[in-house]
Amino acid sequence: MDALVAGAEAFIQVFRTAADVFVGFTTGIIPIVVVFLTAVNALVKFIGEERVEGFAKWASQEGAIYMPVRYTLLPFVAVFMLTNPVCYTFGTFLPEKHKPAFYDSAVSFVHPITGIFPHANGGELFVWLGIAAGVEIVAPDMVTALAVRYLLAGLVVILIRGIVTDIIYNIMTSRRAGVE
Amino acid sequence: MQALIERIGRSVGGVVGTLFQAGRDAVDLCLKTIIPFMAFVTFVIGLILETGVGDAIANGIKGFASSLGGLMIVCIICAIPVLSPLLGPGAVIAQIVGVLIGTEIGRGNIDVSMALPALFAINPQVGCDFVPVGLALGEAEPETVTVGVPAVLTSRMITGPISVVVGYLFALGL
Repeated sequence: MDALVAGAEAFIQVFRTAADVFVGFTTGIIPIVVVFLTAVNALVKFIGEERVEGFAKWASQEGAIYMPVRYTLLPFVAVFMLTNPVCYTFGTFLPEKHKPAFYDSAVSFVHPITGIFPHANGGELFVWLGIAAGVEIVAPDMVTALAVRYLLAGLVVILIRGIVTDIIYNIMTSRRAGVE
Repeated sequence: MQALIERIGRSVGGVVGTLFQAGRDAVDLCLKTIIPFMAFVTFVIGLILETGVGDAIANGIKGFASSLGGLMIVCIICAIPVLSPLLGPGAVIAQIVGVLIGTEIGRGNIDVSMALPALFAINPQVGCDFVPVGLALGEAEPETVTVGVPAVLTSRMITGPISVVVGYLFALGL
């Protein structure tokens, strides 16, 4: 009988702990996300599609000089304004040969951005939040600093991804052309 | 005068309407995606914390997640072109592993300085399942997609480990 009670106790304890964590997430994360989402959604509508598109056209130009713009600023604006997965439609403005690199760059940014701008990828917050929740327990004052660094490191990574994918894509296309 | 009042009324109404719609979209997203995923995630956390499963996983993860070399190995495995499209969908795998590592950081088993490189190490497969769709959204030609998919997948083998190093460098002095 005692064993049964102990078993039941252990069983229900899983859900009690889970519920505690759930309450913590609900009060800690949901309010700020809702308010933030509202603000940014409104901001995006006020700025308007045309202005964003104008910027995208400028930032998508060919040439090595535009590389940092094309693979950092453009993905940032795309993911921030249009959010995942609509952000990839910005590929339309790019020259055909840069489209794979832009996709690689943009898609790699949909998680680093969530540390500070959770609206950009609301459905996949827990890549960041999962790890942030742990940091929150050990070093609560470090979470924001970590979020900022995640964003900055993300920008460096997407620039590298864009450049490397561009090179690989070029090699692959020229090889295909050679075969045919 | 009447025209002025009308204009003010209209524009205020427009602003309020936009804000209200923005709020509605925000709550919608919360109810339909964030909270359901949160329920799932918290259940997993409950299981990890209260059952022996946690310790078993912890021992497995700890070996990999507490050193740069270990994270590198995780990253390279996730970036293998055959595996990466399978691991990609919805970032579910990355989110679960994120929660697992986060829980271990919370318990003090993994050092906080590993958080940033870990964020990149568990995620070199991001979007690898979505390349054709993503390129189609950007109105790419079929030819571009044919070459673009292997190009992105191959590129991840190189940029995955680099991203872990970048994460490690950015975590210095935190």
